[in-house]
Amino acid sequence: MDKLITLWEGSGLYNLELGQAVMMVVGLLLLYLAIYKKFEPLLLVPIGFGGILANIPEAGLAISALDQAIEVAKPAVLQQMAAALGASLDPLSGTEAWRESLKALSHDSAAPDQVRAARDIAMNVGYGDGMLYSFYSVAIASGIAPLIIFMGVGAMTDFGPLLANPRTLFLGAAAQFGIFATLFGAVLLTSMGVMDFSLNQAAAIGIIGGADGPTSIYVSSVLAPELLGAIAVAAYAYMALVPLIQPPIMRLLTTQKERQIKMTQLRPVSKLEKVVFPLVLLVLVAMFLPDAAPLLGMFCFGNLMRECGVVERLSDTAQNALINIVTIILGLSVGSKLMADSFLSFETLGILGLGIIAFGIGTAAGVLMAKLMNLVSKMPINPLIGAAGVSAVPMAARVANKVGLEANPHNFLLMHAMGPNVAGVIGSAVAAGVMIKYLG
Amino acid sequence: MQNQELLQDGLALMALGMGVVFVFLTILVISVTLMSRLIGRFQPAPVAAEMGNKSPRPSGSATQNDETLAVLSAAVQRYRSTRRH
Repeated sequence: MDKLITLWEGSGLYNLELGQAVMMVVGLLLLYLAIYKKFEPLLLVPIGFGGILANIPEAGLAISALDQAIEVAKPAVLQQMAAALGASLDPLSGTEAWRESLKALSHDSAAPDQVRAARDIAMNVGYGDGMLYSFYSVAIASGIAPLIIFMGVGAMTDFGPLLANPRTLFLGAAAQFGIFATLFGAVLLTSMGVMDFSLNQAAAIGIIGGADGPTSIYVSSVLAPELLGAIAVAAYAYMALVPLIQPPIMRLLTTQKERQIKMTQLRPVSKLEKVVFPLVLLVLVAMFLPDAAPLLGMFCFGNLMRECGVVERLSDTAQNALINIVTIILGLSVGSKLMADSFLSFETLGILGLGIIAFGIGTAAGVLMAKLMNLVSKMPINPLIGAAGVSAVPMAARVANKVGLEANPHNFLLMHAMGPNVAGVIGSAVAAGVMIKYLG
Repeated sequence: MQNQELLQDGLALMALGMGVVFVFLTILVISVTLMSRLIGRFQPAPVAAEMGNKSPRPSGSATQNDETLAVLSAAVQRYRSTRRH
């Protein structure tokens, strides 16, 4: 009978907390959105599944060896760890209270070397880091996974349309206003007492408006790792919603006549230009904005591999096999951040709300900038391509093309919209560099 | 009081960020334009020079296809006849 009770007490059902159950439902919801609604399935399937794994009770897949030991170790081990953390445990208060106080101690007040000592004790008695925790520390905490994905994106990007019409870079710059406006919005909410975000957290939330998954993950892993789960989910969910979010804003801000504007054919771009461009960008980053070097450096590297034409194999690996492998690990690692205690909060709702505002403002700023440029330049610019300035490659460009075709069935804007689209990728990486420089 | 500070920091970051993004991309526009001009001067873009040599090809491959077809059908014929015995 005793053994039966032990078995029951070790079961998931016995240990399931309400928060974990809710988070499992959230994970299932993400899987539903990915599988049936085709919302960025490449990312949301691993994220949703990782979220479910992270919330399996007692398995502790997403927590460190220390946290795991605190939760399940025997009293003797707890006492040892308390000694390492420089605290004593009240023998009368019982093991559960010990666990609580140890948890608080190891996360807040203890010095780093004390935490390390306690962690060594936990490892010595046989506790190990959870699988997802290890994925997270290798892939995201180190910054590697988003950067490798950025390299793959570079290897997939054709800068031809941008080189043919470099002024579209301004559209990519204008659309980054969404990032900074949202940052300010988050700060404003905090100062009004509605939410509680630090400046770092506000910056990480704003970057959702860059509509660039790897950049969002990279920035939030540096500035606000505690919000990473919510930010990544918001970024990818909204990227999937770009075809729904953007068209109303685009129609609102343009007249039928403006939407019908035909653009002149792009000039052909020579191979040499395409090879030299990533190097020019790299030199500029090195000279003016070294903090954007991790993101843009990898981006330029990927693009150079694509365009130089002598490393086909590497370019092929970067844009196929490697990016797929890293996507799996990245998705699972993001899923590990979908734990009840950090995700189920009022702030998450705020992040989701602010994220969609960021997208809207970015789109609007891009369209308005295109209208402005149309006033001053001789070459006609269809304001719709401004909306493609939020990155979301190539979805945003397709949306601009589609809205343009509705106004004039013979007006194909896709190639023209690709310019601001890839400019948006550069723009959001630059914005990320500024924020990391200012706050990191 | 602290909120005021946070708000100011937010505004400052917004202005600084947008400024840097614009300045950086402006520099990029200028240098890309210069780069394109420079390259255009030293190496004029070959504008669709290889348009002419496309027409004879399809007929060549068509005869090859006919040939292949004949060979294939002969092989299938022979295979079928051997199977029947």
